[in-house]
Amino acid sequence: MEQNNSLPPFQGLASPQGAMTPGMPIFSPMMPYGSGLTPQPVTNTNSLSLLEEQHRQQQQQQTPQLYHSQTVTTTTLPGNTPLYTTTPLTPMTPITPATPASESSGIVPQLQNIVSTVNLGCKLDLKTIALRARNAEYNPKRFAAVIMRIREPRTTALIFSSGKMVCTGAKSEEQSRLAARKYARVVQKLGFPAKFLDFKIQNMVGSCDVKFPIRLEGLVLTHQQFSSYEPELFPGLIYRMIKPRIVLLIFVSGKVVLTGAKVRGEIYEAFENIYPILKGFRKTT
Amino acid sequence: MAIWGIGDVLALPKVQCPNHPDAMLVEDYRAGDMICPECGLVVGDRVIDVGSEWRTFTNEKATQDPSRVGDAQNPLLNGGDLSTMISKGTGAASFDEFGNSKYQNRRTMSSSDRAMLNAFKEITTMADRINLPRNIIDRTNNLFKQVYEQKSLKGRANDAIASACLYIACRQEGVPRTFKEICAVSRISKKEIGRCFKLILKALETSVDLITTGDFMSRFCSNLGLPKQVQMAATYIARKAVELDLVPGRSPISVAAAAIYMASQASAEKKTQKEIGDIAGVADVTIRQSYRLIYPRAADLFPPDFKFDTPVDKLPQL
Repeated sequence: MEQNNSLPPFQGLASPQGAMTPGMPIFSPMMPYGSGLTPQPVTNTNSLSLLEEQHRQQQQQQTPQLYHSQTVTTTTLPGNTPLYTTTPLTPMTPITPATPASESSGIVPQLQNIVSTVNLGCKLDLKTIALRARNAEYNPKRFAAVIMRIREPRTTALIFSSGKMVCTGAKSEEQSRLAARKYARVVQKLGFPAKFLDFKIQNMVGSCDVKFPIRLEGLVLTHQQFSSYEPELFPGLIYRMIKPRIVLLIFVSGKVVLTGAKVRGEIYEAFENIYPILKGFRKTT
Repeated sequence: MAIWGIGDVLALPKVQCPNHPDAMLVEDYRAGDMICPECGLVVGDRVIDVGSEWRTFTNEKATQDPSRVGDAQNPLLNGGDLSTMISKGTGAASFDEFGNSKYQNRRTMSSSDRAMLNAFKEITTMADRINLPRNIIDRTNNLFKQVYEQKSLKGRANDAIASACLYIACRQEGVPRTFKEICAVSRISKKEIGRCFKLILKALETSVDLITTGDFMSRFCSNLGLPKQVQMAATYIARKAVELDLVPGRSPISVAAAAIYMASQASAEKKTQKEIGDIAGVADVTIRQSYRLIYPRAADLFPPDFKFDTPVDKLPQL
């Protein structure tokens, strides 16, 4: 656990092992703080983890780190003078990935919704489907697809006349596949030569709770590149993580919604990336 | 005003003094001559006279300034207004046999910027409605020009882009207007303005500061007719409420409205939630919700030197 410098997520100037010479330019490949595309914790904000750092940096620090500032500053170690003062608005540089030096959170995001598509491989007559199937609605003036629902797993499907189908509402990949198969079976029983081609999960949504309130104003200041927080438009902060490509909705209460994943691992990875950052912006009162 | 500078000697056909071929000719802009500095010989070879075409005298009756040829250029914003316009003729010769004017087509001036000029007009109209100063209008025009030239938001309605640019310009100048205020002067919905706002920030790769409760206090309070004391008290209350984290997750506008309500109710100028809601663009239930959150700590929130017309314990409790 060596986070000597407070730094913005994508640039750092001193390695914890002192392996870099002072004044090394920003674009060095020896960045220990992970890829510029993955968020990194900013450690100079008032947070509980600061107390840990203060122990380690007692002798080294020139400037006190615990001050209520929400701006990013680079604190200097004697001998490692940063050449550049970094601002949150400088473009990020992709750097070789390395693991952040904190232990993993004990929290696992739960999947809430899976959207998948499948091609039934034949043209369908929506009118007959709507008339003969149970739990189907079809209003061609409003939308050009049959909306069918099944109870187990509780899902909804949009079935188009081209034979393509969208299945939403499942809570796991297996359930989504099973549900899509059930819909295909229904269509097959109605007399169409339905197949099950190219089943693909298009989107996965997960949610979890970090169990502490979060200072969104601080987060948007330091992670300006990725965050959008407009209380007039939406009460949550919209964090667009680049790697993995996930959008997170972060709320003051500590609840986090993750969406845009194609595989389960992306959700978990994104949450593991954001958790240390959120810890850094925990509300202390 | 010199068109040909000394440095343009290379572009000209080589004019030089016959006695001093190396000397750089000095120009006399008034008469349009080029004079050799060594011997004073006038090597006047110029056809163009940059002086004015006629002498003008200030004439109180004439409203036009006869020395002006055309409108003032808007060089920052247009792509250089170098196009020819044919105006409506005067006199008998400009009409053909049927009485229609010849050369009736005076359109197509800078067709590429037609949409941009339209947008500028729209921006000025919108800004006029809420009395925005010239600097914000200029900033908005610049933002619009940047967005328009980038073409990344080409599909969106120009009015939506213009409204969003106006919103961003107000924010950047440190005097933010709420989305609802911009909606009030624009035909575009808040949703669309919000979408365009986010897209423009991404396209121009800028960001804006977060809004705070204090940004709106002076405007809301003056619109309600509240005295300065009440305004200052409301500012203090709102700031304290945010510092003490009594209103987590609430929009700063709602908190500001609740603070104004509390301050006005404690003073002689009491305003109802409905009135404040009308001015701030906030529903009165929202004010009620935020007020309920700050009410328990009301005694701590008021500034120390505040003169209470209604004491803290008599404040309305909804």
